Amino acid sequence: MSQPLFDKDFLKKLECLSLIARQLVFSRRQALRPSVKKGASIEFRDYREYTPGDDPRTVDWTAYARLGDLFVKLFRQEEELDLWLLLDTSGSMDFGEPSKFDQARRIAAALAYIGLSHMDSASVVPFGDGLLPSRDRLRGKGQIFRVLDFLTNLRAGGKTDFQKSVQMFISRVRRPGLVVVLSDFYGLEQARAAMDRLRFLRHQIHVMQLVSPWELDPPIRGELRLIDTESRVHQDLTVTDSMLRRYKTAFDEFGTALRRYSMKYSIGYDQVHTTVAFDEFIRRVLQHGRLLA
Amino acid sequence: MSLLAPWALWFGLIGAGVVALYLLKIKRRQQTVPALDFWLQLAGRTKVHSLFDRLKRLLSMLLWLAIVTCLVLALGNPILALGRVKPRAIAVVIDNSASMQALEDDGGGDARVSRLDLARRALENLTTRRPVSDEWLLIEAAAEPRVLQAWTYDARAVRTAASAIAPFAGAGDVAAAVELAGQLLAGKSDPCIVVISDGAAGTVTRLAETDERIVHWPVGRTRDNLGITRLAARSHRQNGNHHVLISVVNDSDEHVDTRVTLELDGSAHSVELVSVGPGEVWEKTVVIDAPAAEEGAVLRAVLDRPDALALDDEAYATLEPIRPAVVWLITEPDEAFFFEQALGSMDALVWAEESLTLAPQQYEQALAALGGAEGQPTLRAPDLVIFNNCAPPALPASGRFVFINAWPKEIPAAASGGIETPQLFLSSRAHPLTQHISVQGVRLAAAQRVTLAPGATVLAHTGDGDPLIFLAEDPGRRSLCLAFNVLESDMLFRNAFPLLLRNAVAYLHAGGASWLRPEYRVGEPVRPARPLPPEVTSVTLTAVNAGAAAEPADLPVENARFLFTGTQRPGALRVRIGDEVALASVNIGDAGESRIAPVAAPGDPAEALVLSGRLLGTMPWLALAVAASLLVALEWLTFHFRWTE
Repeated sequence: MSQPLFDKDFLKKLECLSLIARQLVFSRRQALRPSVKKGASIEFRDYREYTPGDDPRTVDWTAYARLGDLFVKLFRQEEELDLWLLLDTSGSMDFGEPSKFDQARRIAAALAYIGLSHMDSASVVPFGDGLLPSRDRLRGKGQIFRVLDFLTNLRAGGKTDFQKSVQMFISRVRRPGLVVVLSDFYGLEQARAAMDRLRFLRHQIHVMQLVSPWELDPPIRGELRLIDTESRVHQDLTVTDSMLRRYKTAFDEFGTALRRYSMKYSIGYDQVHTTVAFDEFIRRVLQHGRLLA
Repeated sequence: MSLLAPWALWFGLIGAGVVALYLLKIKRRQQTVPALDFWLQLAGRTKVHSLFDRLKRLLSMLLWLAIVTCLVLALGNPILALGRVKPRAIAVVIDNSASMQALEDDGGGDARVSRLDLARRALENLTTRRPVSDEWLLIEAAAEPRVLQAWTYDARAVRTAASAIAPFAGAGDVAAAVELAGQLLAGKSDPCIVVISDGAAGTVTRLAETDERIVHWPVGRTRDNLGITRLAARSHRQNGNHHVLISVVNDSDEHVDTRVTLELDGSAHSVELVSVGPGEVWEKTVVIDAPAAEEGAVLRAVLDRPDALALDDEAYATLEPIRPAVVWLITEPDEAFFFEQALGSMDALVWAEESLTLAPQQYEQALAALGGAEGQPTLRAPDLVIFNNCAPPALPASGRFVFINAWPKEIPAAASGGIETPQLFLSSRAHPLTQHISVQGVRLAAAQRVTLAPGATVLAHTGDGDPLIFLAEDPGRRSLCLAFNVLESDMLFRNAFPLLLRNAVAYLHAGGASWLRPEYRVGEPVRPARPLPPEVTSVTLTAVNAGAAAEPADLPVENARFLFTGTQRPGALRVRIGDEVALASVNIGDAGESRIAPVAAPGDPAEALVLSGRLLGTMPWLALAVAASLLVALEWLTFHFRWTE
């Protein structure tokens, strides 16, 4: 009998984690999280020139007395954090030992629990060559079991279509939120284009690239028939030492490219090794990353 | 190209093994990868390299396949005929006669091989230079042709059969072998008869002139031979000796002075000097006294000169004992006078002391007394019985008889009336019974008209052709019959009567007593000249070859006969049948076997048989083996320099 994906020990580990958004986000519901959207909270954020129609109560009369121009005060608006966990369920995720998909599901469960624990909404959105049925905007810690059941029943397989999946996602979710993408990000160009669209909609994006030890150092040599896990397309190749060296270099470049892209656009980036315990990874990410302070 | 050993193609499966090994070598393990495109981007840069790798591997495999092909073809021993050689049905006749045992120089030195060995080499040469699609037949031309290997496509089987040919020391019958080959070639496409022979004294050449299918493959070069071609003894009973004729042929290129030694029962008897020019025959008649032994003696003549063919350097003859004949005269006493007078004048021929004159009624008693009853004197069995105007009721199973004017029913002659005053004419003056006789003017009062059955020989007849004197012979008996009463003729007063009796005694006694013929040819089966007595169930035969006697062998007697087929070498046979001993000689029996000078073939047999050349014909296996070695070296070089993997 295989080890259950989520057990009591897993739940205990979740209690130790907390989610804090690196940036303020807007929320329809006034929540504990600051939003980048200027609103009616008590925390001053900025000034701007008065324009007809502005609430006269927001005019800073002191400034008017000193400068002679009308300025209105802008305050931070506190919103709840919408956490969207985009989980790649393509066939390439079901690879490695332990599989990247299992590791991604554990991390997704942990993040969802952290979000639910802090009264945020959490959504788990699996995708492959499109969006799959999801669990949207769950609230309260009690919903964690639905999340776990949902994640447990997910199966990896099929192809990945980042752009189509993201297109479907943004057609459903207009309000910006924290989007954590759990994937191996093969097909990087597509992934970049998809994240560009998310960025355009002002989602806060955090990518977690799942990597198995096999991908870092493939233990293969000689005459091989390589079979794609998603499309089952095969190709005969002679894998030599030099080719493996080139592979490792290319794989490093692949991760580096994703990291550079993320840094360039203030996207959180983490590389998740399947051999690292999920809670250790979450702790390290939250302590050192921008996802959780 | 044809393969002489097509079975070698089975080794071609090694090529399949090579391919299988390469396939196993390039059989790819399947490996699932999360993103094949990622690998394909890498492979894009190595695509040319992979293609080169495949080419390298292909080159390596092709090299090994070429090596295997070369080795398999080399094992197959191919023939390159470039389309000239067509499949044929070839009947090979190997001359296995005595002359084929002549020794030849074998490539210098002291080594010598027989012509039969050269014939085997010729056969191997022939079979290995002909395509495998040929059909082969092998016939041995010994005393009788014998098929050693029936039609086959397996040339190796033909060579194996040829290797089992035993040398034959007698005269071969190449013509019969060729005739047999011709019969067995009936219906075959493109037939050919290859006669491997020293020429058999021109026989093969004559055969080849009349049959274009015959190709003569000559063997042998030497012509240094001096051989005894004849050793014949003739008894002279009146003189008590034998006249022995010796013929020696010189088939060499030089005059030969040597000697021939005569041995009698293993002891030297005399030496005769021989002086004979090249190609000539030396003959001499030597008088030898009759042997004292009752069974006779074996005479051996040996030439004192080593030459290429040793078989004909000796010859054998048997000398029968010369003993006067015991003659019984069965006649009425008053008619015995002239007979007794005539017989009494033949001292050397007739044993007067043991001969008897009996009345017809005493004949049966005398026969009964031959058994030697106790208390009675032992009678010696008659060598000849003369019945005058009487005949026994039944003839013994064997014996020699003279019947005058009457004969028993066993004689194949039926009397049918009489002939008045017939005239007597001899049918042949050369017959031993009628030689030296003149019957001109002999007057006969009367004679019986006789009708002879087959098996009787007319020696004298009337003017109308009715037989008057005839000889009746069967395996055990020989009878001279006169169809008239000599007492009623004036023949009694002429020389013809005693001469006729003398001839009868000499002819019917001589050679008649032996169970064997005096001489046999090598390879000829030996059978008794007449049925053996019923009490004889086995005979003991001793062969004497090269002066030494072999171990006696018991031969079974079936149906009153025995059979001996071991006359494989010149020699003598001593056969004991009951209490009697018979001698016979065994000789080559053909003077042509001593003429060993090979007869050249009219053309090159290799050309006539379209044999492929040695180096590029039958020896491609060597070239292929060299090519395989070079390819192995090339493969090693390509591997060493990483041109191949």
